[in-house]
Amino acid sequence: MQIRLWINGEEHKWQVAPHETLLAALRRHGYYGVKDGGCQHGECGACAVLLDGVPTNTCVMLAAQADGHRIETIEGMGKHPDLGWRKTEGLHPIQQALVESGAIQCGYCTPAIALAAKALLERNPNPTEEEVREAISGVLCRCTGYLKPVQAIMRAAAVMRGEEVPPIEGEPEAMAFPTDWPGGASDAPKSALDNEVSPSVRTQVMPRIWTVMRPERQALQRVGKPEIKVDAIKLVQGKPAFAADIEMRGMLIAKVLHSPVAHARIKHIDVSKARALPGVAAVLTYKDIPRVPYSTAGQSDPIPGPLDTFSLDEKVRFVGDRVAFVAAETEEIAEQALKLIEVEYEPLPAILDPADALKDGAPIIHDEPDYVNFAESDPKRNLAAQIRIDIGDVEKGFQEADRIYEAEYEVPKVQQSHIEPHVVVTYWDEDDRLVIRTSTQVPFHVRRILAPVLGLPVKRIRVIKPRIGGGFGGKQEVLIEDVAAHLTIATGRPVMYVYNREEEFTAARSRHPMRIRMKTGVKLDGTITANAMYVLSDTGAYGCHGLTVTGNTGHKAMALYVGDGEYRKAPNIRFYADIVYTNKPPAGAYRGYGVPQGFWAVERHMERIARDLGLDPITFRLKNALRAGELHPFSTAWSEGREPRPEIIHTVGLEECVAQGKAVIGWEQKFGNPEWHQVPGKPHLRRGIGVAMVMQGTAIPYLDMGGASIKMNDDGSFNLMVGATDLGTGSDTVLAQMAAEVLGVPVEDIIVYSSDTDFTPFDKGAYASSTTYISGAAVVKAAQQAAERIRIRAAKMLNQRGNGHGEVKPEDIRLVDRKAVAPDGRYVTMEEIALNSLHHADQEQIMGIGSHMSPVAPPPFAAQFAEVTVDIETGAVTVDRLVMAVDSGVIVNPITASGQIEGGMTQALGYAVCEELRYDEQGRPREKDWVNYHIFRANEMPELGTIFVETFEPSHPFGVKAVAEIPMDGVAPAVANAVLDACGADILDNPVTPEKVWRALRKA
Amino acid sequence: MIIEYHRPKTLEEALGLLQRPQPPTLPLGGGTTLSRLKEPDCAVVDLQALGLNQIMLQGNILKIGATVTLQQLIDYAGLRPDLVLAARKETTFNLRQRATVAGSVVSGDGRSPFLAALLALDATLLWMPREQVESVGDFLALRGRRPQKGLLITELRVATNVNFKYEAVARTPEDRPIILVAVAKWPSGRTRVVVGGFGKTPRLVMDGPDASGSQVALRSVLQDADDEWASAAYRQEVAQVLLSRCMSVL
Repeated sequence: MQIRLWINGEEHKWQVAPHETLLAALRRHGYYGVKDGGCQHGECGACAVLLDGVPTNTCVMLAAQADGHRIETIEGMGKHPDLGWRKTEGLHPIQQALVESGAIQCGYCTPAIALAAKALLERNPNPTEEEVREAISGVLCRCTGYLKPVQAIMRAAAVMRGEEVPPIEGEPEAMAFPTDWPGGASDAPKSALDNEVSPSVRTQVMPRIWTVMRPERQALQRVGKPEIKVDAIKLVQGKPAFAADIEMRGMLIAKVLHSPVAHARIKHIDVSKARALPGVAAVLTYKDIPRVPYSTAGQSDPIPGPLDTFSLDEKVRFVGDRVAFVAAETEEIAEQALKLIEVEYEPLPAILDPADALKDGAPIIHDEPDYVNFAESDPKRNLAAQIRIDIGDVEKGFQEADRIYEAEYEVPKVQQSHIEPHVVVTYWDEDDRLVIRTSTQVPFHVRRILAPVLGLPVKRIRVIKPRIGGGFGGKQEVLIEDVAAHLTIATGRPVMYVYNREEEFTAARSRHPMRIRMKTGVKLDGTITANAMYVLSDTGAYGCHGLTVTGNTGHKAMALYVGDGEYRKAPNIRFYADIVYTNKPPAGAYRGYGVPQGFWAVERHMERIARDLGLDPITFRLKNALRAGELHPFSTAWSEGREPRPEIIHTVGLEECVAQGKAVIGWEQKFGNPEWHQVPGKPHLRRGIGVAMVMQGTAIPYLDMGGASIKMNDDGSFNLMVGATDLGTGSDTVLAQMAAEVLGVPVEDIIVYSSDTDFTPFDKGAYASSTTYISGAAVVKAAQQAAERIRIRAAKMLNQRGNGHGEVKPEDIRLVDRKAVAPDGRYVTMEEIALNSLHHADQEQIMGIGSHMSPVAPPPFAAQFAEVTVDIETGAVTVDRLVMAVDSGVIVNPITASGQIEGGMTQALGYAVCEELRYDEQGRPREKDWVNYHIFRANEMPELGTIFVETFEPSHPFGVKAVAEIPMDGVAPAVANAVLDACGADILDNPVTPEKVWRALRKA
Repeated sequence: MIIEYHRPKTLEEALGLLQRPQPPTLPLGGGTTLSRLKEPDCAVVDLQALGLNQIMLQGNILKIGATVTLQQLIDYAGLRPDLVLAARKETTFNLRQRATVAGSVVSGDGRSPFLAALLALDATLLWMPREQVESVGDFLALRGRRPQKGLLITELRVATNVNFKYEAVARTPEDRPIILVAVAKWPSGRTRVVVGGFGKTPRLVMDGPDASGSQVALRSVLQDADDEWASAAYRQEVAQVLLSRCMSVL
C-alpha cells in the first residue's frame, strides 16, 4: 500500500506493507537517526520521532498509521554548520547544548532525547526541571544518569529564550571549603516522598574537583579541560555511525532458534521444511558446521577459562541456548523458517540452584569429551573454576580477635541493558577476506577467537568496530559474530544479525549472581585481625569470564581493608571461590567485573560490625583501609589467572574522598541526628544516610596492552589511529586530549579513528577500566615521537631563517597553540612544518607509534554516600540523593569523567533497588523486556553529586587512574546501609525491595 | 501478522469491516499493542479518522472518546489529580502519546493503575453498533471469554462527582506497582475499593453503601495473591495500609 508523509517538511510517497512498523519504514528509507533498541513494547524510546509535533515511538506504530501525518526526525533538526562551500544554519540550540554539556555518551538515545526536548520547548519555552525530566522520561538512557541531558535542555531553553548562559569552558568548580549544607535539620533538603518533586538542577555541568596533589595542573593546555567530545557532533545529528546503520546489496537477515528447555540433548532435528521455504538462504545446525571448542570471553591469549562453548552443539544447556541458525531474505521469512524447524529434545535434569551444582550425583552440564580445561576447572564436578587464596595467617588472625562476625550475603543476576543491542554484519570482501562489522568492545579478540571457529587464519579476517551504543561489558563477548559469519560462509552473501531485546535478556550475558559468606575477626578497638570471604559464583551454562570476574570479587573488595597496626603490615586475608555451572544463561562481564558483588558483602558487613561494636562506621573503615605506600595485598597472590607480581599502591585519596563526600551530603548534621531522621507530618517515613568505601583497578598489569599511531597532515592536523574502543565513555576524546597536549594543538586538530583490525594498532579493547591509562599512555608515546620529529624540523627551519638569532636546539622548542616556539619567541606554525616535511625539503612523513603495557594497576578509590527515605509501613524505599567522591587520579576531561560517575551510579542504583533476573522452576526467565526489568528513567532519579579528589598517579605520564567502573561498586551497599540507618531493616541480599524491607522490619 | 490495513472515515464503514467473517479483523487504536502482533494473520481497522478523540463533560459525566490518548486525558483540565496520577503511571511519556483509553481497557492487566482507577470509579463503556453501555467491571469479568466480533468501544464514561484516591507501592517511583489500592467514594457514601498489582486484571474488593467491611474484604481478595513479584502476606498487610491512607483523605 502507498502512504504519503511529510518528513522534515518534505513530502514522501512510500510503498509499505500493512504490518510494517514506522520504524522499519523510516530506516529502510535511510532515516538512520531513528534508532532501534530492539524492544517489543516501545519501552526504550530510542526510535522516537515527532509525529505531528509529539514524541512517538515508531516501533509500536504501523507505517500505515502515519499516512497523512507530519514527521520530524533528527535529520531535519540541525546540521554541521560548515559543509565546505555550503554553509548551513548549524546545529539546533538543543543539539548544541547537548554537545557542550557532555550530555552525549554512546549517543544511541541522543536523537530521541533531542526530539523530545524540541517538542517540549516548542510548547513550553520555560520549563521546570520536573517538566524536562517528564518530557524525556519516555526515552531510556543507560549511560548518562540523565543529569547532563536535563542540564543541556535547561541550558538550551535559556538560550532559546535569548538569555545568557555561563560558559562551560571555564575551570571546574573548585571546592573552596568543604561544606554546602550549613544548616541543621530544618534546612535539610526535603525527601522526594515529601513533595513528589525531584531536587533542583543547575545548568552548570562541571563537577567539583578537589585537588590533593597535582603541582603540574596549571602547566597543561588540554588535559584537565572540559573539551567537547570528538564524536558528539555526528551523534547529535543521528548520523549512520552504528553497526546496523548500513545497507548492502543482497544482504540476508539472520535469526537463531533458541532452546525452550534448560537442559537436553537434541535427539532429532529436521530442518527440511525450513530450508524449503522460499526466501530462505541457509539453515545450519550442529551437523553442518565444524565442532570447535572455544570461549566467548573477549580476553587476551590464552583465555583464562575453559573452552566449553561450540557455535552449535547437540546439547542445549539453558533456556535460550542455540539450536539452529537461519538466513533469509527478510526478517519475516527468517522467523517463519524458525517455526518450521522440528526438534525433538531428550530432557535432562537441570541445575538451577548453584548450591546443587557441587553435590554428589548432580547432573553434569559439560560432559563433552572435547572440553578444554583451564587451571582448576573440573567439568565432572560442574566446576568452571576454583580459587583458593590465603594471605598471611588467617586462622591466627581469627584467634587473636575479640569478636568474630559471620554472615551470608547474596547478589542477583543483572543485565547490562545497553540500548543498542548486539549487532553484526558479515561479508566477503573482494579479496575473499571475511569482514566482520560488529558492535564489540574487543575487535582484536573477536578476530583472534573466531579464526579457528570459522576455519580461517587471522589474516583473512578483518573486524571493523563502528560506533558502539553502549556495552558495559556485555560486548566484551564474542557473542553473535560467529552466527553471521557461519551464514556468510554458507551462503557467500552478506548477513546481518541483530539481537532483539528478548534475546538480550535471555541469550546474552549478565552479571554473575553470587552467594558470599564473610567471616571477620575484629578487636574491640575496631582493628581487623583477619578477613575471609567464600564465594559461590553462578557462571550459568558456560564458563566465560567466570574465573576472572569472581577473582576480582576478592582481588578488589577484599583488598581494601587490611587491618591496622601490626595487621596492616601483614594482613590476614582469605578468599575462596567456587565458580559453578548451572542451567541458566551464562554470566559474563558487566561493568565492575565482580567487584560490585564483593563490595555488597564487604560494605554491608563492615557497617554491621561497626554498629555492633558501637564504632563510627566511617572511622572504623578508615582505620583499617589500605593506605598509600602499602602493598596491594592480593598482588602477590593472584593476577587474573596469570603470574602475580608485587605491586605498591602509590596514591590513595580515600580519606579526602570521605572528607569531601561527608561535607557535601551533610553527614555530620544528619548521621546520628534523631530529628533529621523524622519527616515532619509523615510519621510513617524515616530518613537514613549511608556510606560505602570502595576501590577498583586500572587495567591488568603485565597483560593489557594498547597501541596508537599518529601522523601529521598537510594542514598541521593529525590522524590518531587507536585500537581502543570508545563505547560512549569518551575515551576517543580523552585520547585526543592527551595527543593534543603533547603536540600543542587544539583537540579539533586530532582526528581519531577507532577501530579496524586492518588499520589501527592492536588494543586489547575496552574493559578493565584501562583505556585512559593504557591506551592513553600509548597515545602519549606516539605523540611524543611525532613531537620530537616536529621539534627537529622546526629547529632546522628556524635556524635556516637565521636573521641574526642564535642557534635553536630542538629540545628547547615548545609546542603550543599550533606553533613550534623557540625560547626567543620565534616560531613556525604546524602547517608550515607539515608542508615543509611533506613537500619542501628532506621530505618525510612526521609520525609516531607507541604501545604501552603497565607493570602496575593503580586502584582508584571512592567514598559513596546515599540518602534514603523509607516508608516503614510498606517497605518502599526512595533514594533521595547519591554523592560520590572519587580518587581517579588526574581527571583528563571533567565533563566526560563526571558523566561516567553519574551514569555508573544510576546503573548501580538499579542494582540497589530493582534490577534482577529471576527464573522459574523450569529455568524460564521472568524478565524478557524493560517493562519487567525496570531501569531508571529521567523522572524518578535522585539527586546525583560527583566530586573528584585528584591525586597524581606516578605510573602514568598525566597521572591518571581509572574512572569507568568504580561508580558501580558502592551505591547498593550505601543504599542498604542508609536503609539500616533509617529504620533498622538489615537487608543481606540485594536488591532492596519493598517486601524485603517490610519483612526485615517485622524481624527487627 | 497484520495482512490488511484499513482507515475508515465513518463508524458504519468501520463496523462493516469489523463484522466481516474473514479475515479476522481487529480495531486499531494507537497501535502500541496491536502493531507488533505476529500471529494470527489479521486485518486492522484504524480508528483515527472516526473523530473518537474528543472529551466532553455532560453534567457529572465525562465522556471520553475511545481513541483519546492517555496523555490527552492527563492534559484535560479538571480531571481529578489521582486519576491523572493513575493515567500517568500507566506507561511512559512517549507511549502515553499513542496509547488510547479504550486500548488500555482492552489490554491492561492487573498491574494497570489506569484500569484499576476506572474499575473503582465504575466507569462504563459504550459499545457500538448496539449502543450498549457496559461497566468496566462487567467487561473485565468476561474479557477474552466472549466473542466481540463486530463490536467496537466508542466511548468511556466516568462520573466526575466521585471522590477518588489511588495509592501504590513499587520498587521505584516509575516502576509498575506490586500492590495498588484505588478507592472511589460517591456523595451518597457509596464506596468502591479496587486492588491490583497482580493477576490479569485489577479486582473489585467491594462496592457498598459505605466503606464498612472493606478491610476484611481486602484481606480475603488477597489471600491467594502470591506471585513472583510479591507474596500474598505482604500484599494483604500493605494493602490495608494503602486502603487506610486512601480512606483518610476521602
